[in-house]
Parts: sequence; C-alpha cells; structure tokens
Amino acid sequence: MTTIQRIWRIKNTLLRLLSTRCLDCGFVAYPPKASCPKCGSRRLIKEELPKIGEVLSYTVINVPLRGFEEFTPLIICLIKLGEAKVLAELVDVKPGNVHIGMKVMATLRRSAKTLDGVIPYVVKFRPLSLGSS
Amino acid sequence: MGAVRRVYVAGVGMTKVDKHTETSLRDLAAEAAFKALDEVGNEKPEAVVVGNMLSSLIEQENLAALIADHIGLRGVCGLKVEGACGSGGVAVLAGYSMIASGLYDRVLVIGVEKLLERPTPDTLRGLAYAADADYELIYGVSFAGLNALIMRYYMSKYDVRREELALWSVIMHQNGAKNPYAQLRNEITLETVLSSPVVADPIRLYDACPLSDGAAAVYITSEDWKKVSDTPILVAGVGNAVDSPDLSSRVSLDEFYASRISAEKALRTAKLDIKDIDVAEIHDAYTITAAVSLESIGFAEKGKAAKLWSEGRFRPGDKPTINPSGGLKSRGHPVGATGVYQVVEVAMQLRGDFPGVSVPSEIGLTQNIGGVGSNVTTIVLRR
Ligand SMILES: [Zn+2]
Repeated sequence: MTTIQRIWRIKNTLLRLLSTRCLDCGFVAYPPKASCPKCGSRRLIKEELPKIGEVLSYTVINVPLRGFEEFTPLIICLIKLGEAKVLAELVDVKPGNVHIGMKVMATLRRSAKTLDGVIPYVVKFRPLSLGSS
Repeated sequence: MGAVRRVYVAGVGMTKVDKHTETSLRDLAAEAAFKALDEVGNEKPEAVVVGNMLSSLIEQENLAALIADHIGLRGVCGLKVEGACGSGGVAVLAGYSMIASGLYDRVLVIGVEKLLERPTPDTLRGLAYAADADYELIYGVSFAGLNALIMRYYMSKYDVRREELALWSVIMHQNGAKNPYAQLRNEITLETVLSSPVVADPIRLYDACPLSDGAAAVYITSEDWKKVSDTPILVAGVGNAVDSPDLSSRVSLDEFYASRISAEKALRTAKLDIKDIDVAEIHDAYTITAAVSLESIGFAEKGKAAKLWSEGRFRPGDKPTINPSGGLKSRGHPVGATGVYQVVEVAMQLRGDFPGVSVPSEIGLTQNIGGVGSNVTTIVLRR
C-alpha cells in the first residue's frame, strides 16, 4: 500500500526509471541515491535506464502484502537494466513460463489502490517476445 | 575504534518464545528483565535500553518509559533502539556503548516483541516495512518474497539443490526440540519442508521462521561492576554494519555485505579469528538466510554452506556448533527480541547452563540481521 503523495513524489523516477550515475566512479544506482553507494561522491547525474532487460531472479508470491490480492499470484523479479538492477512486477506471463535470463520490457500498468483510495500507475515489466507468455 | 572499557554480561533472562495471548508486551519484558535482575542480586541498573521493531502494531510506542516504569525503574535513563528484525542486536550494541564509553556501569538491555497480537496480514505488512517502501513495497512484495529472490539467484548461481537448503530446517528442529524456550519443539523431516505450502516460490512455509512473541534481557556491566555476577561473560567484540534496504542497488546478491563487515569488525575488536569460534547463534530467518549468513560471516566458502551442513557440519559436537537453540527456525523469531535471545543463549553456553543442546565452549558469536541483510550486528562473547 502506498499514498498519493508518495506516488506523486516519485512518479518521474518510477515511470522513467531514473537512476543515479556517479561522475567519479561510474556506479549506477537504482533506486537513485543522494550519494554514491560505492565511493560516497555527491557528484551524481540522473540517468534514464534502458527499458529492456533480462530477469536475474524471480519469485511467485501466493501471499502478497494486503491490498495486492487481485494481483496474486504476484510475480516479482530482479531485472538487469543496463548497468543497474530494478525490482518490479512481471505481468502478461504464466508463472511457470518465467525463467532466469528471460528478456523483458517496461510497461505502464495499474497498481493496487493507495491508502487514500486512488488507483496509481507504475512501471511493470512484460515478456519482450509475446510467444513466451 | 578507540580505547574502550571492558563490558560484561552479568545476568540473563528470557521468556519462552510462543504465542503469548495472555501476557502483555510489558509483562513479557518484565518476566525477562526480572530473571536477569535476579541473577545480579537485583542491583539497580542506571539505564534501560529496549530493542523492538513493531510495537506500533499494537498501538504502543515509548517502550523504554513503559517498561522501565512497569519494572520499578522510574528515573533511570531509557531509550528504544530500532534496526528492523535486527533491533535486539543494535540494542545490545547501544547498551555496550554506554558502558564502554564510561557513561554508565550497569545497563539492562531488553528485547521484546509481540507479533501474534494482530491478524497475520497486518503483521506481515509491518515486517515488510524493513524493505524500501518507495521502490519495493509499492509492488506488494512480501518480506518472504524478497528473500525468495535471493534464494533463487543463489541456487542458480551455485547449483545448490532445494533439498540441501531444506535440510537446515530439519537440523534446527532437532536442536530446538531440546530447548525449553523454543517455540516449535517438534522434530520434522525433509518431507515436512518440501511438502509445506509455497509462500513465495521457492520459499515454502517450513523454510521460514514462525511469527513469535517473546522477550529476552541481558544485564551488562563495566569491569568494576562485574562482581554482581559469579559468572560474568566478557563481551569481547561488537560490530555493526548497514547495507541498502533495497536489493536492487546492491553490488552483490549472493552475500550479505553488512554481515561480512559486521563480523569482521566484531572479530577485529575481539582480536580473534573466525576459527576460534566454538558456538554461534545466527539469523536463519529463512533456510537461504542461514546459508548466506554462514558464508558472509566466514564459516563457509561462497556457495558451500548447504553442502557442509549436509555433510554433518555445524551440528552439536562440531566446531563451530551453529544454533544449538534451534535458531530462528525453531526457537522462533520475536523480531526485536531475537538479537537479545542470541546473546542470552550464547552467554549461557559459555557459562555451561544453557538448558537445551549444550556446547562446551570458550568463545561464542551472535549475529542478528535486520531486513534482508541491511542492518547487521555481530557480537563475540568470551568466557
Ligand atoms: Zn561513485
């Protein structure tokens, strides 16, 4: 569950997948950080991540957090996007067809209602080739 | 770390880990605290430090005041320390620091948690607050789900079989069955784990620790005041380290960086090597957490922990024996209290009066983890 304020505040980061790249050591972090996790530098630039990547790991959740029941079974992945990793939901695929290394692409989807009763849109991922769904 | 004063565990106490429907949070804390205080002749502490993660679930904050007042300690210094499921460990670290710095001589550290008072969905949501609310929880991922991502990654990278990981739960229930303070005292088989419901694939119910209520307390003192105990145990080293709460910005997904760093710090301050450890209580919230922790601490090479315990390592009789209490899996995991339970259990092992699986030992280690390896405290104890 989340709030309108939170969704509004992070909408750019979340919908455009904005990471931070360190100008000193090059480390790319998503979620974006205020200082580089690797070298501590504050010289960071915002950088949009690629929208196509591959599944590093995944889980199929039968008991999601309260409010997400309609998305069950919920498939959550760690996805390699360029030099960064992103955690997100995978949609348009049967749980049995997900595999490590699977190519996926970002898509805009509806999420669970916020605590204030609004339906937000977030970035989810779907298989790149429709044949694998 | 600069020069610090020596710190001792002079008294310990704990409640059985259980579903304590009839006992309030303050009374659980009092039971553990009074046992620890009784061990030191009821010598009044100068400060109370409380470890807790989720008392807001039962609509109660300000725990140091609540508990200190309830146990007759109005006027003492009081504070609560939070580090998610690692709150107990950081509470002991805070108490240690108060004595090591010279501020106080006698501190009572209490870890307490009641996870079974609210309906399970509320508690599970609370536990997930240890993760990144902005970028992880907006997808509805549970705490088990985050650990499942690590588990699948690890199994795939190191070609570790499901059955090998599941065996950890069987071993833990064997140990916990002999521990009168443990929550789950039944022995189980590999089949119990492998046929239990899938929570977050590949994690099944019996890969996971139970939800628990419980409290544990340690009375710690300076060198001058260790005389309040006949069997003081030296806190030889402490170390804490944090990592990102989110998994995605981690450099590595197959080790807990904060676990490794905190263990290194604790061993360095203790001037000891990992090979010196006779007994350890580690944070096996899930079978995968046991494997990654053992490797990050340095008890096993990367990818090898499950192979080692399948060969019989880490069990009673081995050096080190890991989790003679039954660990989080069997003893249970009252989150903010767990780190304090671990210190109580290892101190009792060194004193020779732990009532379950007994491990004759000189040097012990505890490691308590908050989040998926994001706030980790390691403590080295010495007889
Ligand atoms: Zn950098």
